[in-house]
Amino acid sequence: MKVTVNGTVLDLASGTSAIDAVFAAGFDVPYFCSQEYMSPIGACRMCLAKVGAPRKDRDGSWIVDDETGEPKIFHFPTMMATCTTAIMEGMVIDTLSQDVKDAQNGMVEFTLINHPLDCPVCDKGGACELQDRAYEYGTGRSRFAFDKRHQEKHHPLSDLITLDRERCIHCKRCVRYFEEVPGDEVLDFIDRGGHTYIGTLEDGLPSNFTGNITDICPVGALLDATSRFRGRNWEYDHTFTTSLDDASGSAIVVDARTGRIERVKSGLNPEVNKSWIDDGIRFGHEYVDHADRVRRPLLRKGERFETVSWDEAAAFIAERLRGLSGKDVGIAVRADATLEEGVAARALAEHLGTGQVDHAPRHGRTLVPVHGATLVDVATADAIIVLGDVSEELPALDLRIKDALKGVTPPPLLPHGVPIADLRLKERMPRASERLTVVAAYRVDLMRHAGHTVTVPVGGEATWLEAMTAVAHGERVDEAALAMSRADAEALIASWRDADKAVMILGGFVLASAAATAAADALGKAVGARQVRVPPMANGLGLEVTGVLPSHARYDYRHMLAGGARALLLSGLDPAQDPALAERLRGCELLVVHDMFMTATAEIAHVVLPAASGFEKDGTTLSLEGRYLPVRAAPVDGGEARDLTGVVKSLGEAFGQRLEGRSVRSARRVLRKQLGFEPSELDRLGLLQPLPKVRASVTVTTDEEATGEALRVPTMVRPEYLAYNPHLRAALGDPALRLHPDDAAERDLRTGDGVTVSVDGVPRRLRVVVSDAAPRGVPLVPATPDAPVGRAVVDLDALEVDRRALEVA
Amino acid sequence: MSAMHQLPTVTPFFADKQQLLSEILGRYPDYGQRSALMPLLWEVQRAERHVSEARVAEIAEILGLHATEVKGAMSFYGTYHEHPVGRYHLQVCRTLSCALAGADEMADFLEDELDLVNGETDAEGRFSLQFVECLGSCGTAPVLQVNDTYFERVSRSRCRALVDAMRRDALPEPTRERGGDNEAADPAAAAEGGAT
Repeated sequence: MKVTVNGTVLDLASGTSAIDAVFAAGFDVPYFCSQEYMSPIGACRMCLAKVGAPRKDRDGSWIVDDETGEPKIFHFPTMMATCTTAIMEGMVIDTLSQDVKDAQNGMVEFTLINHPLDCPVCDKGGACELQDRAYEYGTGRSRFAFDKRHQEKHHPLSDLITLDRERCIHCKRCVRYFEEVPGDEVLDFIDRGGHTYIGTLEDGLPSNFTGNITDICPVGALLDATSRFRGRNWEYDHTFTTSLDDASGSAIVVDARTGRIERVKSGLNPEVNKSWIDDGIRFGHEYVDHADRVRRPLLRKGERFETVSWDEAAAFIAERLRGLSGKDVGIAVRADATLEEGVAARALAEHLGTGQVDHAPRHGRTLVPVHGATLVDVATADAIIVLGDVSEELPALDLRIKDALKGVTPPPLLPHGVPIADLRLKERMPRASERLTVVAAYRVDLMRHAGHTVTVPVGGEATWLEAMTAVAHGERVDEAALAMSRADAEALIASWRDADKAVMILGGFVLASAAATAAADALGKAVGARQVRVPPMANGLGLEVTGVLPSHARYDYRHMLAGGARALLLSGLDPAQDPALAERLRGCELLVVHDMFMTATAEIAHVVLPAASGFEKDGTTLSLEGRYLPVRAAPVDGGEARDLTGVVKSLGEAFGQRLEGRSVRSARRVLRKQLGFEPSELDRLGLLQPLPKVRASVTVTTDEEATGEALRVPTMVRPEYLAYNPHLRAALGDPALRLHPDDAAERDLRTGDGVTVSVDGVPRRLRVVVSDAAPRGVPLVPATPDAPVGRAVVDLDALEVDRRALEVA
Repeated sequence: MSAMHQLPTVTPFFADKQQLLSEILGRYPDYGQRSALMPLLWEVQRAERHVSEARVAEIAEILGLHATEVKGAMSFYGTYHEHPVGRYHLQVCRTLSCALAGADEMADFLEDELDLVNGETDAEGRFSLQFVECLGSCGTAPVLQVNDTYFERVSRSRCRALVDAMRRDALPEPTRERGGDNEAADPAAAAEGGAT
């Protein structure tokens, strides 16, 4: 459609909003209420413009202006909010005339009537949309001589979000966000007119995605309580990087100041996380600056550790290794190491001549599906089968699934980026919940949004998938295994088969079991569904496809720990939480731990090397959909902490060798040859590439058959860092042991009780949460990198109560 | 992230009113069940003279909404109350016509007489005083609405008599005036009203 904006003629697709036409033409118009991924509602009236269009006569011809001979432009009688106005053929939009300027002045003045002038103490000062717009479009003076409206200045919406009700300008972004994005209207306007305020009846905003409202608030009303009063926007170094919290590849912005991370905000990656991140990523960064971090290399001298230089530590390790055969050395990295660190681990293993190199946690099966689906495929799918608890395991997927239920495909990008007002989005859109099937052994949050839910017994995923596959092939099957009638199962399978784009999402519970993964593959093949496999940690897929794997299945991480290695280098892993493994590791001739904290394994190590956190290293990560994304170092003071390339550099120097992974740069030379592109040139949006096939002989390992009636479940918040994340811990409490009400009642346990319980022989300190999400007899404990998602043995009768929660009389 | 706010357990309002409930829900199509929000709130308000948080949660449960959503809608309307209003809910119209005809004097009188200010309920739970906007009976200003009943052209003496009567729990027939909204509806009462 032809549109004229301030004299600039543009050709835009039908359905584009007038505000996007203005921006596409290179002009600016102020707005507060619109947000790229939410419905335009025209609440703030800031984007007013003079809009007109030609009109057709009854005979279908344009009404012509007699003077010019051109179609006559009929202007709307009043200014129009451009965000809710769709363009029309021949539309003329004027944003520069005096009338429009007067309207904008008026709206700025109106918006500022009750807005406090506390910008000097406001965290948003300097990055505030209202402040900017008031400078650009206001008159600079107010005629409002009366008292401003006074409301609560510090209202805790939750332990992590603070609301200043005086600063709120009622743009409704946060209210719409909760209804439109996570799909839970837990925030609303209360009262009416000038008294309106934002409020909730829900205790502490029950959602995994609450922090995003602090990003989208155009003023300083909604503030992230962990970063409040910590610094001014212009003092922060903004590092645009990728989160290594999970395998979503979510874009984040790390704001650091004087060597500390003060805030993590969401970055924009339209095909990955859009502009949303979960609360685990946003609030779970404080461990990086924790006082307990190991900041210098430590060398064991008898019972104590002595602080040494990297050179001394490396010399000690080289000396010890000299007395050992290379084959006796095991090297294992945690699965959120970067690809560059993976190269370093491989180079070190190659130099030592050992095949015992691995990453952990790792399922015994490949993470590369036969027909993979991207996150955009998920967001545009018309049938989704979720096996597991993705809302906790990989929360970005949860939001993309909810996008799919709305059925609005991602908008095409305009010259200025993502459209500001996508007119297809509406408030309270109907959700096609029948597109979503959720299968899990306990009640997961996504089930509330699903049209079909199946609760399987613990470890029952394989049986259910096999039964469904049998139905798909028209074979006889026991209805009990389907957990639904055969007719329902047939209808469900037909709906998957008829779908244009069916996507199956395999969580950790399926991937932990060879039988369940095989059954999922068979069902996927039978109904024509593509697959998403959720890696256990951020870069599990990347480390697999770049070959940070043992030379033979029998040299894998588990076998290293079980006695295959006499010397071990463990990066980020903490197997010694298990007393039996700790005993075995004490017998090692050399135990080197590369970690951020003094973990149980570090305590018994010979050498502890300080590790850089995911915010302090440069590198590359591969997200679950096969997108290579850059990880960039923020200016954080980690002492002498280094990533694994730094470890290999020191060791190489001690060996008198220049190893390939001795720096990020040298590791990238290897990656460039292996992957066919230059990792240092990746932009923020990353590079989506087809995944290479991996040799099954090394990725497939034989699992010990998992047993136990308890489940290690994924959690959005990483339990291993919770103790070092003071705000998050104060808000959420210790990692939760979720118990069915009957199980809790039998043992006289209440929500909040601190307990020590043995999970697969590893004592864990947990907090009881009585919840009917847990089936009877199935305690749910949080998974950790060293005890990933899967079945577990938990003996509730041997549980010790540490303390009772404070009782309110 | 955390469970719903714990509310004291009370008997659900609609527990013994299933027929009423299904009648109200039946007015709306399946996809528009949330529209039943207003009538449900109104049922509770009429019976209990307020809508407590427990009732908000109950209605949210019935309609499959979050309690916040119900509260948001409820708080928009002045007719729903968070705290119980008195048995006699006095609503004084103070919009233009009533204001010109002496609504402020009526309001002052009621404030002094009942020792209440706008928005308050007395300790006994007998009277609540609320200032409201136009009640749509400008021809017979000033107007005082007691619960659902209009008292028109309320003079000082009529107001005193009315308060006295309510103190004896004897709410009189409404004073009705020619030109008032009630005239056509009930001519007999209108004729009689003039003589009161």
